[in-house]
Amino acid sequence: MKQFKTILNFEFKNYFKNKSFVGITLFMALLIAVVMFFPRISEQFKDTQTTALEDKAVMLILDNAFGGGETIKQTFETSFPDYNVLLTKKNISEIKSEIKSEEAECAFIITSPTSYTYLVNNLSMYDSNTAIADGLLTQIYRMNKIIEAGIPYETAADLLSADITHETENLGKDQTQNFFYTYIMIFALYMVILLYGQMVATNVATEKSSRAMELLITSAKPVSMMFGKVIASCLAGLIQLVAVFGSAYVFYNLNKSHWKDNMIISSIFDMPLSLLIYMLIFFVLGFFIYAFLYGAIGSTASKLEDINTSVMPLTMLFIVAFMVVMFSMAGGRVDNIAMLVCSYIPFTSPMAMFTRIAMSTVPIYEIIISIAILIASVIGVGIISAKIYRVGVLLYGTTPKLSSILKAIKKA
Amino acid sequence: MKLELKNITKSFGEKRVLNGVSFTAYSGKAFGLLGRNGAGKTTSIRILMNVFPSDGGEIFIDGSPIDYSRIKIGYLPEERGLYPKKKIIDQLIYFAKLNGLKTNDAVKAVDFWLDRLNMTEHRNKRLDTLSKGNQQKIQLITALAHNPDIIILDEPFSGLDPVNAMLLKDIVKEQIALGKILLFSSHQMSYIEEFCDSIAILSEGKAVLTGELNDIKRNYIRDKLVIRSSKLDEISKEFSCNSLTDNDELIIHLASPEEKQAVMKKLTEKYDIDEIKVFEPSLNDIFVEYAGGKENETV
Repeated sequence: MKQFKTILNFEFKNYFKNKSFVGITLFMALLIAVVMFFPRISEQFKDTQTTALEDKAVMLILDNAFGGGETIKQTFETSFPDYNVLLTKKNISEIKSEIKSEEAECAFIITSPTSYTYLVNNLSMYDSNTAIADGLLTQIYRMNKIIEAGIPYETAADLLSADITHETENLGKDQTQNFFYTYIMIFALYMVILLYGQMVATNVATEKSSRAMELLITSAKPVSMMFGKVIASCLAGLIQLVAVFGSAYVFYNLNKSHWKDNMIISSIFDMPLSLLIYMLIFFVLGFFIYAFLYGAIGSTASKLEDINTSVMPLTMLFIVAFMVVMFSMAGGRVDNIAMLVCSYIPFTSPMAMFTRIAMSTVPIYEIIISIAILIASVIGVGIISAKIYRVGVLLYGTTPKLSSILKAIKKA
Repeated sequence: MKLELKNITKSFGEKRVLNGVSFTAYSGKAFGLLGRNGAGKTTSIRILMNVFPSDGGEIFIDGSPIDYSRIKIGYLPEERGLYPKKKIIDQLIYFAKLNGLKTNDAVKAVDFWLDRLNMTEHRNKRLDTLSKGNQQKIQLITALAHNPDIIILDEPFSGLDPVNAMLLKDIVKEQIALGKILLFSSHQMSYIEEFCDSIAILSEGKAVLTGELNDIKRNYIRDKLVIRSSKLDEISKEFSCNSLTDNDELIIHLASPEEKQAVMKKLTEKYDIDEIKVFEPSLNDIFVEYAGGKENETV
């Protein structure tokens, strides 16, 4: 136990003596601070700059359907407030060259009340101008037809702008609200486990390749070495997470009033405390199960170069788990069969079960079963990994075959 | 204190590495553990240090099974290596604490040894800024700082310059005088002969020869004569079984040790002899004979 504490202490301090570890943590905290202060800073500038009409992008309208009057220009101006809408009488090739030369950004050639051509230089993925124009022209078309049928203008306007009000009463969880923080947390879980897992593996392999292991194995029990390393890296990972999320929380609260218009950001910080506790449980357990295995794999490599290939199967397993969760989240069906299965498999449950808890309603007994399986597996994997470690650290030369490792473990 | 290994066996998979190794080492004396590469020295040391259990056999301290919570062992492995990127003082304290010292005692002991080895100026440097010999001195501290009862030094002199080798010799002698059990493993026989009172030669997982070095030498079959003379050519014609040494001495092999008096008398009467003596084997000769194995027998 004393040895374990000495190792834990030594390994833990190593993280904080590592300049790049401290540097990255501080940099991330700083980056988050900048992001959190951004709306406040940009508001300072907003007051002085009112977008002048001539600064707006030019939208040309060639109207061959409604008589080329000011009405159509006004209608477009109301619907496209970000554009400087101009009526034009030029021919199509002249309009095209104006767009090419970037004098105008886009143009609508209205050929009839129900058809038009939209000209634009580069069509952006997020260009919704045609959709707006479609709605606009439909509105005008319907209005005209209704008025033609002899219905008074007021009735027609009332008909077309019927205002429906609704309320949603959500009995479970609101996925629009919790999507973003679940996404961020799953991503944090993924990054931390993968990065620190690889660090544990590299750490062990470095000790082996520098032959410090020769002395270590004669000075300390392999179990203490393994657990000391894994728990130290878990603590370091947690501290890094706390530093990053903590600074996000602090800086958000400093600028809370400036963020109130941003639904996404304010929903992230609206996370319930219970979820944070689940996050902690699944983070620690998920971290352990992977870090143990990474440590064991690290112990079987005799050269640092071997690490990348040896850890590949484990990393792949983890990426698959991440993908299942991500696709289910994106599809909005976090309770699908794959997720149900994954939330009981120890290697995938930290992410899968956490996502289900965050984005859906999971009965408490399911959570307990999942966590119980996970805890039992962590203990089992810990014991097996310590055995692999014990055998692995003494093996030099070519990376041993899985079967020979298993044989050796059986004997150990 | 007496350390006894009794009939230690160990296999890794199908391969039998130790085939019943037994030897006894006493405190206040240095014990030489010899053997060719792969003879089982490192495996024996690891079993002694409880890195893994043996398949059979026992280890005793003063007649009772070894208690690792009481007996402290210091080890300088043949494959040297610590943490190259870490501060020397930090890792030395770490290893001293792993070996059971409290932080304060560890700092004191490490500083004492840094001073003793003239390394205090490097205290706060990174290990990889030091030369190979100095790194080795740092590693030696990991074997000594926790004041172990048993000290195992594997090839301690390799890579040291003559001044540092002298310093290490003094330290080894001090430790022996302090009543430590010192196990010494080396392929440099001159060092073994200098320090060790008793030896064990391992070959193919067995201690093929153990005992006091003097006894071993004395019991060596005395059937060879060493002759210095100007008439070596004529003498060598008379004896079929002979060889020349590097120092232009003739060694003649007798049919039996009993002949030696008669042969010596005959030679001194017949030839002009500068010197004639019974051949005393060096440890090197003994080692080659016992550990040489099959490849050597055919030579």
